[in-house]
Amino acid sequence: MVIRSKTFRESYYEDIKLFQTVWIRVWIFLFLILLATLPLWGNPYVIYLINLSCIAVVAALGLNLLIGYTGQISLAHAAFIAIGAYTTAILSSKVGLPFWACLFASGGVAAAIGFGLGIPCLRLKGLYLAMATMSFGVVLENVLITWDKLTGGVRGINVAKISLFGYPLDSDSKIYYFLLVITVLVILGIKNLVRTRVGRAFIAIRDRDIAAEVMGVNITAYKVMAFTISSFVAGIAGGMYGYTMGYIHPEHFTLLLSIQYLAMIIVGGLGTILGSIFGAVFIILVPELIKGIARFSELLIPALKGKYNEEWNIAAFGLLIMIFLIFEAGGLHGIWGRIKTSFKNWPYTY
Amino acid sequence: MKRRGMWMGLLVFSLVCLLAIPCLAQRGVTKDTIKLGLILVKTGPVAALGLPNGNGMVDYLQYLNDQGGVAGRKIEVIWEDDSFEAPKSVAALKKLISRDNVLTVITTGGSQQTMANLENINQYKLPNIPNALMKEFYDPFQPYIFAMGATYEAQYETIVDYIFNDLKEKNPRIGVVYEKKEYGIKSMEAVRKRAKAYGVDLVSELVLPTGAVDASSQVLGFMNDKVDYVVTCLLLPPTITFVKTAEKYNYWPKHIFGFNWATDDMLVKACGGAAKNYIGVNFVGAWGDDSPGIKLAREIAQKYNRTDISLTSLYINGVGVSWLFGEAFKRAGKDLTPDSLKAALETLREYSTGGVFPPVTYTSKSHAPGEMVKFFKADVANKRLVAITDWRKPKEMK
Repeated sequence: MVIRSKTFRESYYEDIKLFQTVWIRVWIFLFLILLATLPLWGNPYVIYLINLSCIAVVAALGLNLLIGYTGQISLAHAAFIAIGAYTTAILSSKVGLPFWACLFASGGVAAAIGFGLGIPCLRLKGLYLAMATMSFGVVLENVLITWDKLTGGVRGINVAKISLFGYPLDSDSKIYYFLLVITVLVILGIKNLVRTRVGRAFIAIRDRDIAAEVMGVNITAYKVMAFTISSFVAGIAGGMYGYTMGYIHPEHFTLLLSIQYLAMIIVGGLGTILGSIFGAVFIILVPELIKGIARFSELLIPALKGKYNEEWNIAAFGLLIMIFLIFEAGGLHGIWGRIKTSFKNWPYTY
Repeated sequence: MKRRGMWMGLLVFSLVCLLAIPCLAQRGVTKDTIKLGLILVKTGPVAALGLPNGNGMVDYLQYLNDQGGVAGRKIEVIWEDDSFEAPKSVAALKKLISRDNVLTVITTGGSQQTMANLENINQYKLPNIPNALMKEFYDPFQPYIFAMGATYEAQYETIVDYIFNDLKEKNPRIGVVYEKKEYGIKSMEAVRKRAKAYGVDLVSELVLPTGAVDASSQVLGFMNDKVDYVVTCLLLPPTITFVKTAEKYNYWPKHIFGFNWATDDMLVKACGGAAKNYIGVNFVGAWGDDSPGIKLAREIAQKYNRTDISLTSLYINGVGVSWLFGEAFKRAGKDLTPDSLKAALETLREYSTGGVFPPVTYTSKSHAPGEMVKFFKADVANKRLVAITDWRKPKEMK
């Protein structure tokens, strides 16, 4: 009798299956049930944090596609999120378009501009590409401030509330489902994309662009495609952000935000879908966790009462990122992979 | 069957009771405590502005507690840091309401942060006095936003009035240096409009960012345009940069003017003799004033060991905000709810804070500021600002 290992694969198609085992399906199903029932029992503040995490997951996925999968560094991600957010704001509050049209338009406008940026950036690599994309972010911030008739300039702009078949999504718990559905769709979309020929071409360019070209990959087309798709996803994230916040301002989309997204995908794990999710949730939730630990410590040790300062949080957060970079280059996804392997191989170490 | 029905009835009744508890409980108020929230920047590039401001608020409320509290209740304050970022400010407000269950958030910080929180402020009925001086917050009327002080427009209109009426200039050469932020652009536009009303065009309009360490190009630009009145629409750090750079180039315009966020003793301490021509407006008294309110602010600072207040005007400002809330708590009495607090604030008529703020009036139809400011001049020898006028408003123009 042949005992087949549960991770034994006989074909490439088995290797790239969305859900490798039945248990993965079961766990994902249970996790989705947990998320679906959260507004019924969760604290509104926790729901708000999860809403922010959903937006961050979508934006981080877009950036990971460009940096992690294609190897094209970008510091303009905040700018594309801004384009999406402003498109949603203008179309929803000034034109009165429904949310789905605004969201598609947000992705579309960001993708068009991403396509435009991708072409001149084709010849650039590494630090030069980072500088070029950073400059685009600075230019866009100025455009948002100066073009005040359209963008509201330094006063900012309000975003109309979403209405679903006449039912207004006017609270965090209502908009939560909307964000959750879009996040799941974007995760599935990106996961599928990286399994296709396009995804493999991105990875080939990242690993060695000359070799990829020799193998017949059209580097020009795929690099521009990566920029365009990444910008599209960032634009969608911008639209989600606009609807969640209800008000946007040019200062919400600074270079610091681009760096924050870079931190998310590095901490989570470059070139992995799960890494983007882990990284985004980590960056959004860990400051809260640190704050909670500090407050708990104050209860345990009365001498610490009143000593907690937000700067502790920043320092602890910075330290955590340093630890990740030094000791776990694979990010949270690397740790997760090791945990899974040790369970799979138990009781054997290897 | 009958028994089952009875149990079901009991279960429904219990559920209704459980759901009703949060509705019956008064938010943030118990028999002997009032829980308040405060959202102000503590970390990041503008922490220097938020810290003295928030300390002033916290110290005054502690002072009230030490006096026995308000209507038998002690006040607890939870200060959330927003790092001057709107998304963090929104998160902080949600936390204060849903987790900490505060009665209100006494300030939501700057214009952007308040704008981002506006919907929540109205939804949760949070009477608050933000550091937001844009006219849009009071016109149209916002039911829960109460003005702290003169709007940017009023401050700069008063400055231009001063040049034409007090200094009796007929055709002054006015240059404006501003930052491309909401306060800078609004202020610059107000100066331009007011000067135009007097029949004068601005000679020069230049931008200086907050992080600038040198203002050579702006100073040389003004020298080239022979500007003799410089109006700065800048926060304190770039104003210091500008004044020091002007000294370096031996550029001495007749006066350099500034608004409330730059009119602080720190300017004179940092610039020394370079600030001799500086005249600023503010809607709070100066640290060295002899008025009873400012004396009390100094006593409070001493009582709570604030020996190193960097920006005293912001500390006074914080004391003033808590003072107004303290008075409203007293007026609301035992029945303290967001609505009764709002109603109590709306009973203030020409209310005096002893020189901390100009007399304050709020009604149920308007929470707009009185638009009054004082002018302050640098006293270089004593390293402080001294008042040179009483409270005044912009002149009515035909």
